[in-house]
Amino acid sequence: MTEPSILVHASKPKGYGRGSFRKLPNKYKLFLMAFPFLVTTFIFFYLPISGWIYAFYDFTPGIPLSDTPYVGLKWFKSIAQNHTQMEEVLRVMKNTVAMSALGIVTSVFPVIFAILLSEIRTPWYRKFVQTLTTIPNFISWILVYALAFTLFSVDNGVVNTILIKLGFIDEGINFLATNSNVWLTMIAWYWWKSLGWGAILYLAAITGIDQELYEAADVDGASRFRKIWHITVPGIIPTFFVLLILSIGNFINNGVDQYFAFQNAMNKDSIEVLDLYVYNIAFANNFPFATAVSMLKSLISIFLLFTANSMSKLIRGESII
Amino acid sequence: MRLKRTLILMLAIMIVVVMAACSKGNNGAKESAPSTESTASDSSPSASDNPSDSASESPSSTGLDHSQTLKLSVFSTTANYAGPQIGWFAKAIKDKFNIELDIVSSNLTGGDTKIAAMMASGNLGDIVIWGDDKNNYPNAIKGGLLLDLTKDGLLDDYGKDIMATYPKAIEKAKIAFGGGSSVYGIGNNVASNPSGPSEGKDMTWGPDLRWDLYQKVGSPDINSPTDYLPVLKKMQELEPKNSQGKKTYAFSLWSDWDGNYKMTLAKQFANMYGYDEIVDTALYTKADEEKYYDFLSEESWYMKSLKLYFDANQMGLLDPDSLTQKFDDVVAKYKDGRLLFSWFPWLGAANYNTPENIAAGKGFATVPFKEEVMYSTGFNVYGGNGIISIGAKAKDPKRIMEFINWMYTPEGAMLSAGSGTAVPNGPKGLTWDLDAGGKPFVTDFGLKAYADQQNTKLPEEFGGGDYYYGANQMNFSFVVPAEVNPQTGEPYDHNLWESSIKRNPNAIESSWREKYDALTAKDYFVKNNKIAVAPQGFTGKEPLVMDKTLEQKNKLIGTVIQQYSWKLVYAKNEEQYNKLKQEMLDKVKGLGYDEVMAFSIKKAEELFEARKSVK
Repeated sequence: MTEPSILVHASKPKGYGRGSFRKLPNKYKLFLMAFPFLVTTFIFFYLPISGWIYAFYDFTPGIPLSDTPYVGLKWFKSIAQNHTQMEEVLRVMKNTVAMSALGIVTSVFPVIFAILLSEIRTPWYRKFVQTLTTIPNFISWILVYALAFTLFSVDNGVVNTILIKLGFIDEGINFLATNSNVWLTMIAWYWWKSLGWGAILYLAAITGIDQELYEAADVDGASRFRKIWHITVPGIIPTFFVLLILSIGNFINNGVDQYFAFQNAMNKDSIEVLDLYVYNIAFANNFPFATAVSMLKSLISIFLLFTANSMSKLIRGESII
Repeated sequence: MRLKRTLILMLAIMIVVVMAACSKGNNGAKESAPSTESTASDSSPSASDNPSDSASESPSSTGLDHSQTLKLSVFSTTANYAGPQIGWFAKAIKDKFNIELDIVSSNLTGGDTKIAAMMASGNLGDIVIWGDDKNNYPNAIKGGLLLDLTKDGLLDDYGKDIMATYPKAIEKAKIAFGGGSSVYGIGNNVASNPSGPSEGKDMTWGPDLRWDLYQKVGSPDINSPTDYLPVLKKMQELEPKNSQGKKTYAFSLWSDWDGNYKMTLAKQFANMYGYDEIVDTALYTKADEEKYYDFLSEESWYMKSLKLYFDANQMGLLDPDSLTQKFDDVVAKYKDGRLLFSWFPWLGAANYNTPENIAAGKGFATVPFKEEVMYSTGFNVYGGNGIISIGAKAKDPKRIMEFINWMYTPEGAMLSAGSGTAVPNGPKGLTWDLDAGGKPFVTDFGLKAYADQQNTKLPEEFGGGDYYYGANQMNFSFVVPAEVNPQTGEPYDHNLWESSIKRNPNAIESSWREKYDALTAKDYFVKNNKIAVAPQGFTGKEPLVMDKTLEQKNKLIGTVIQQYSWKLVYAKNEEQYNKLKQEMLDKVKGLGYDEVMAFSIKKAEELFEARKSVK
């Protein structure tokens, strides 16, 4: 065996560690390179699962688990302890499913938006629109609510003032405190905030499409719409499906922020999704209950993800896992 | 071989890292607290220096050495400020004790979640301030996170003034939370004498009206809260729009303070009838009698208040944005002169009675109703429910105890009594002083500082900065401000000094004093015997607490009540109102209201028993 010193750059001294790393077979090198990330993944994603144990105890922060009474499945059962409570849970689940379903149905919006954006031929105008639509993503929901309040409050709200001045209505309409169309207004606010951001991935996918395809289509005399339909859309469908499958995995995780900011007594019946319900009921001082619910959520999410994945395998012949 | 060694070495390092991460944060950080929080709490608490505590090098009353600066981390669940204490209070304690405070505020960093993370980390810092004595405080004792102040003679040697002046507070701490012998914390707003109302110049509630408009409509007599509605309607007709042309309303509510079972703004009239809730239960109890009612019953002023707001809404007196706006929006409306009624002196008068408005003859003043019997918190010899503790891992407990003790002495109280609830007096010789007869008076600089706390700059020799942020930011009131200072014979609170009360009244104050024949609102209620003082006693037993299952039901019921309360107020008509009310009653019953009620009654009995202890 010859010394592999020729591999080492001549101008640099041959350090011990460096040399020995070079001598390793590739599979170990790759493993060592991935190792730190495996460890971080383990620490941040698998280790916290040990916290599930709290769902089975009457845990209170500050008191060691060893001094805490073991209660078995009490907190899981308490989710449906009686009729009225069951109705509450069903109402909350209905909202959760509705919001997620609406979210998935409307997830074509950023796709359409990205295609339209990429078709804009004036670069400065395209950049302008993209920046303008991406910015709301960085505004917190509390501020979005403040904006909504200025626009839609009954007294001196911009919209009501205009409507009254134009003579469409005599008295202000309370847009924010109403139980009608809450799901639709919520999804509208959601896309107002995330449309530009959601389009970024698709824009990247569009850039990745081979330009020769378009040139070939030009030669064949394809119209602009034809090119979109037969080249751009098929080009970004894989990206769309990956995101779709992931969002199905997140079906029951709607998050808290948006609904927390917009909730009030009038719209609570329709706005209270599972995450908000857990926040409202449990988060103040009931960690075992919150843990129990999030455990169930994780299990359901995993189930949904794998279902969606195998559906994809069945229908499209490819899967992401 | 080399490969194996490298691998083993790397694995070993990783395992060490993982183990370190586990042992620090695995029980607390799992739920939602980011890991940075637990590490931050690990590094900041604990005294930085540990001077030798045996020999006394510098002479002082306790014989402790103050030559080394002691940096204390204060974990306060009530503070609305985070970071090092600055300004005049910092200067005063630095000069006196060579102590610096660094305040960690859970309010500003995640609320209950932050408290849970701190508790789970096992170190709460050097000084801990609890907003109430439920849940967290007893749990911290059980978890061994707090120092027993009777150990090593801490209280006996360095807490002498507390032991001598407020022995009952120590007694309560021992019996209620210390298993009969240990002291893990001392209550707030302590008093040495148990009789009479403990409020300052104003009471907690009013109601206050726009005094100028009330006079213009002929100051009609008001017997009960419902009588305010026609009067307010007339006042609104007199001034339908404010100076900027925006609509005026009588009531403007806000929902972001809702919690503890109720719509926050539907309980004030109950207070004005001498009743108050027992927090987190379904009962309202009378301040000075063994009477209570279910707060969802017909006789309850919670339900009557909802009806009153419903009527007000029908009359166009209720701000239509009440449900969706936040507290800050309401404050802005008071400032703009768009509201005519205020439940509290600290809301209407505090925001509207600016020098300009007063000069124009406009302002809020208390307009009591005939049936009113104001609920008043009596002086509490056992201390309130707020608690100050020393952390179990505090490095120099003796100097901390000495400092806390001083805050309960006349010297400490004159400096900062009432911090968090009232404007503190500030440094002697700057904002106030003693006259030749030894009586306290507010200086001209003091008048300016108290009126405009944020914009008044202090001279460098008193610590600099503005008056507001220079105040004690722990947000803990050690001694009740209305307590009489044995050294001057007058209360600690500068608003109650004779020299302050007799200072030139403005036009509104003069006409008010003339009509009610009293100097202040408190004076009026006391003189006319329209006050119900709740004795602040203690049962001599551990307090009753809900078990976790009932707590959960209670919480759920509370959210239902809050939601329906708002729906009732904004119901379209009487018919819908009654239908919603029935729906609410059915729903809470289904969720276990009867169980909560049974617990509430036990809690009321406990309260009545406690009151006997101070009679």
